[in-house]
Amino acid sequence: MVLVGPTGCGQSSANSGSDGGDKKQGGTLTLFAASSLIDAFGELAKTFEKQNEGVEVKQSFESSSTLLTQIQQGAPADVFASAAQEEMNTAVQDGLVAGEPEVFVKNREIIMVPNDNPAGITEFRDVADPGVKLALAQKDVPAADYAIEILGKANARYGSDFKKDVLSNVVSREADVRASVNRVVVGDADATFGYKSDYTPDIRDRVKVVEIPSGLNIIATYPIAALKDANDPELAKKWVDLVTSDEGQRVLEKWNFEPAA
Amino acid sequence: MKRRGKDGPTPRFSRGSDKLASGLAIAAFALLVGFVSVPLLSLVIWTVDKGAWRAMASPVAVDALLLSVRTTSITMAILLVVGTPAAYILARADFRGNRVVNTLIDVPVVLPPSAAGIALLLAFGRLGLVGKYLDAFGVTISFTTAAVVMAEVFVAAPFYIRQAATGFSAVDQTVEEAALVDGAGRSTVFFKVTVPLALPALVSGALTAWARALGEFGATIIFAGSFRGVTQTIPLAIFAEFHRDLDAAVALSVLVLGFAFAVILAVRYLTAGATTHEA
Repeated sequence: MVLVGPTGCGQSSANSGSDGGDKKQGGTLTLFAASSLIDAFGELAKTFEKQNEGVEVKQSFESSSTLLTQIQQGAPADVFASAAQEEMNTAVQDGLVAGEPEVFVKNREIIMVPNDNPAGITEFRDVADPGVKLALAQKDVPAADYAIEILGKANARYGSDFKKDVLSNVVSREADVRASVNRVVVGDADATFGYKSDYTPDIRDRVKVVEIPSGLNIIATYPIAALKDANDPELAKKWVDLVTSDEGQRVLEKWNFEPAA
Repeated sequence: MKRRGKDGPTPRFSRGSDKLASGLAIAAFALLVGFVSVPLLSLVIWTVDKGAWRAMASPVAVDALLLSVRTTSITMAILLVVGTPAAYILARADFRGNRVVNTLIDVPVVLPPSAAGIALLLAFGRLGLVGKYLDAFGVTISFTTAAVVMAEVFVAAPFYIRQAATGFSAVDQTVEEAALVDGAGRSTVFFKVTVPLALPALVSGALTAWARALGEFGATIIFAGSFRGVTQTIPLAIFAEFHRDLDAAVALSVLVLGFAFAVILAVRYLTAGATTHEA
């Protein structure tokens, strides 16, 4: 299958002539990754470009559900890194994945509130207080699905109306988890569900974390896989190897992810 | 009246190149018509083919349509009430800084809507330049329908004001003066003389502005957020549904297409009597 598209053009020119046999150096690697991976993969991309001279890493960060839709519609991607198993499973079922997906990292959810904490949220159960303005990623985005799962568990601890009360506080459904976190960063939302890894150094002076009790929290597992229609399967595999290597895991841990093993 | 005679010499063009030129013009016309109608047709065909009609009656679609009707109506009311006198002043008053104000009013036209959304957020968000004072009085704009209207007014206003001002400038000032001399008050002259004479420009400006407000996406999703029934207008609902259910996104697109078409037809029909004598 020949993939055409805005990013595909760059790839084909970079690879022209490599079909004949002797592989030229260089090429382009296109990653489709969950938006929570933006910082960690950004750093790893630099490492990758250093290790593979002449290679350019292109990355698209959006919600895993959006990325899945784009891949299903033939977007030119070499690697898919999802924030949840569900999207990867669908990709496998649709025959889009080459080989077996690997879980490469884990994550947890946290509550983030603006530094001045206008709604006075000091513990997890406060997000159900009336009048809290809660931002949440939109339906089918893993971060939001995990949040719903957590609220379901919390019903058993805080009473059967807890989930309903929290959801009635939602004032906006955002396209992905980072957009939702940004609502708290600019101070308009009183709280949001995000990943531990979304609490990045550049927002720490504007955002505070409220932990979700570990008995209620979920463990998000992130699978990664090279795609069947990858323009450069070799580069795609190299990227998966880097991410799962000690070096890759160190970078991911630095960005607050938890090791997969 | 043109002075050139009917069978005067046609310099530079021979008959053959004339034919070629009109052939090219017709081809360009056909290309344009096809380019615009094929995507619209595709929407309708998909809707019929996949039975996506049902999605038009879904709560998401109904809420989005009602919200779009509500917000664009309020936007137009604000634009007519505030924009009309403002446009008149722009057209008539010769004050210092006129040119600066003129340019400023046009800025939202060239500003990408997403940039407009960020600007509104930094001005009227809870921690924004103006927003922090509003917040002190317990007034919050983010995530409310008011924020949607503000985004729509911000991006649509220039389209109305610009055309209205042009319309007012074209009204012959001596006609206004004659009415004043006859003893009519200034406001009577404005409503009985100036506005009727400028009506075609006002109507077409209002239609352009309304269309812009109806399609508003970038500023709204950034400034107002997206929530069903409160801030999720049709364009935002299409965006949200596109990530989950393509059929629903298509159905919403057809819905907004039909709605826009109906409104434009209705306005053209209703104002036909008032505007034909001008054209």
